[in-house]
Amino acid sequence: MTTTLGMRVLKALAVTLIVVWSLAPIVLGVTTSLSTQREVNEGPSHWFPHHPTTQAYRALIGGTTGEHSGGTVTQRGEFVQSMWVSAELALLSASLTLVVATMAAYAFGRLRFRFGGFLLAVLVGTMVVPIFVVVIALFKLMANAHLIDTKKGLVLVFVATLTPLATWLLYTQVREMPAEPEEAALIDGCRRWQAFVRVVIPQMSSGIAAVAAILALSVWGEFLIPLLLTQTQNAKPVTVLITEYVGKYTTNYPILAAGGVLALIPPALLALALNKRITGMLAGS
Amino acid sequence: MPGRWNREGDRSARETQILGWILVVPAMAAVSALILYPLVKGFQQSIQSGGILFGELPGYVGTRNYRDVLNDPTSRDAMRHTLEYVLLAVSLELVLGIFVAVTLHRVFRGRGFVLAVLILPWALPSVVSGVLWRRVFDPDNGLLNSVLLHLHIINQPHVWLASGRGAIVYITLVHVWGVLPLISLIFLAGLQSVPDEVYSASAVDGAGPWRQFRYITLPLLRPSMAIALTVGTLLAISIFDEIYVLNGTALNTRSILIQVYNTTFVEADFAHGTALAFVLAAVTAVLGGFYALALRRSTV
Repeated sequence: MTTTLGMRVLKALAVTLIVVWSLAPIVLGVTTSLSTQREVNEGPSHWFPHHPTTQAYRALIGGTTGEHSGGTVTQRGEFVQSMWVSAELALLSASLTLVVATMAAYAFGRLRFRFGGFLLAVLVGTMVVPIFVVVIALFKLMANAHLIDTKKGLVLVFVATLTPLATWLLYTQVREMPAEPEEAALIDGCRRWQAFVRVVIPQMSSGIAAVAAILALSVWGEFLIPLLLTQTQNAKPVTVLITEYVGKYTTNYPILAAGGVLALIPPALLALALNKRITGMLAGS
Repeated sequence: MPGRWNREGDRSARETQILGWILVVPAMAAVSALILYPLVKGFQQSIQSGGILFGELPGYVGTRNYRDVLNDPTSRDAMRHTLEYVLLAVSLELVLGIFVAVTLHRVFRGRGFVLAVLILPWALPSVVSGVLWRRVFDPDNGLLNSVLLHLHIINQPHVWLASGRGAIVYITLVHVWGVLPLISLIFLAGLQSVPDEVYSASAVDGAGPWRQFRYITLPLLRPSMAIALTVGTLLAISIFDEIYVLNGTALNTRSILIQVYNTTFVEADFAHGTALAFVLAAVTAVLGGFYALALRRSTV
C-alpha cells in the first residue's frame, strides 16, 4: 500500500489524539492533587499549579484540620487503612478464585466425567446473572451470618462472582493447549492428578498470570458490592472511602484528586507490567 | 492383552470420574451458595409484600411489586435514562473503537507504548475515573466552564450536571473513557484476523483507503462488532459507579441500577427494589441470549 504524506500526518494526529484522550484525565488528576483549593478556583491559567504543593496528600493521609477542608473531611490514617483493605481483598480474592477456577477449568477441559457438560453450562450461565441482583439478595443472608462489614464476607462474594469468568477464560486456554505433554506423563505412569499438578499447571502459567491480573484489577475497582456490604472502616476499600470525600455542596478537589491518584497507582502499575498478557487475554475472550 | 488393557481403562476412567467431581466441587459450591441460592431467595422477596415497615402483613403478593415498579414514574424515568446511556455509550464505543483499532492496527514505532497507555483507563476503578473527570464538569470552577467562558462561547457558568439531557451525555463520556480500551482491543483482534494480502491485492486493483475501509475492513469486522455490541451493552445497562460519583442519586441522571439502590437501601424497600432489579436482570439475560445467538450465526 502506498502511504502518502497526508496519510502519515493523519495517522500521527490520530495516534496523538488517542494518547491524549487516554492520559489527559490522569494528568489533570495529578496536577489537581498538587494544587491548593485556591489555585483550583483560579481557572484555566492555573491548570498547572504555579506553586505545586503536597498539602492535599498531607491532608488526605494525616487528616484535615477543619477550616481549609472546603467540604471534604478526612480522618488521620483512614485512607492508608483503606488502601491496605483494597490490597488485601484483591490479593485474597484473586488467589482463592484462581485456585478454584484452575481446578474447574482443567476438569471441564480435559476430564470426561458424568454431568461435566451440564455443570459447565450452569457455571458459565451464571455469568448472565447481573451481580447486583445477587448482592441485594445476599445482603440479608450475610446479615444473618454476621458477614456484613467483614473482609471475610467480601472475599467470599468476590470469589463466587469472579469464579465463572475466571473458569471460562482458563477453560478456553486449556482447550487450546496441546494435550501431548499430559498424555506423555500419563504413559510414563503418572496418576491423573499428578499430571495436572506437575504438567498442566506449569503449561497454563502465562494464562493464569493474565487472569490473576484481571481478577486483581476488577476486585480493586469494585465499588457497588463493598458499598452495600460495608459500613465502617473495618472493611471499607479505597473506592468506597473516596466517594465520601465528594462534599454535598462543595468539594475539595486537591484532596479528592490526591485520593484518586494514590488509588490508581497500584492498578496502573499492574496493567503496565502485564499489559501484553492482559491485552492478549482480553482480546481473545 | 486387550482384556488387561480394558481393565486398566476402566480403572483410569473411574479415577477420571472421581477426580473430575473433586475438582469442580469448590467452584460449583461457591456459585450455588453465593449466586444461585441468593437468586432464588431474591426472587421470593420480589413476590412478597414489603412487610410491617410498610404497614402490610407479610405474604405473597404475586406480580404486584412488578406492576408497581413498571408503573412508577421515577422507575420509568430511570428506564428511559438507561436506554439513553446504552444507546449513546454503545454507538460512541463502536465508532471510536473502530477508529482506535484501525489507527493502531499497523506496526509503527512506539506502538507498544501506545497500546500500554491505551489500556490504562480500563484498568482504573470507574470510581476513580469519575473523580478524575469531576473537576471538568464542576459548575463553579470546572475546566469546561473556564474554557467556554474564556472563548466567549458562554457568558455564564453552566451547571453541567444539573441539566437533564446534557448530564447524561457527560456521564456517558466518562463511562466510555473507561470501556473504550476493551472495545478497541476486541476490534484490534478482529483486524488481526484479516490477512494483509487482501489489502495489497485491493490496492493493486486501485482501491483507495476509504474504499478499502468501506468494502474490506467493515464487513470483516462484523463478528467483532457483535462481541463489542454485547460487551458494551451489558456494561452500560448496569451503569452505576460513574453516576454515583458524578451526580449521586439525583433524579435527572438516575439509571435503573441507581433507582434499585435508592429503593432498596435508601428507602429500605427491599420488595420493590428486588423486583426492579429482576426486571433489569431479565432484560440483561434476554439481550445476552439474543447476542449469543447472533454471534453464533455470524461466526459459523
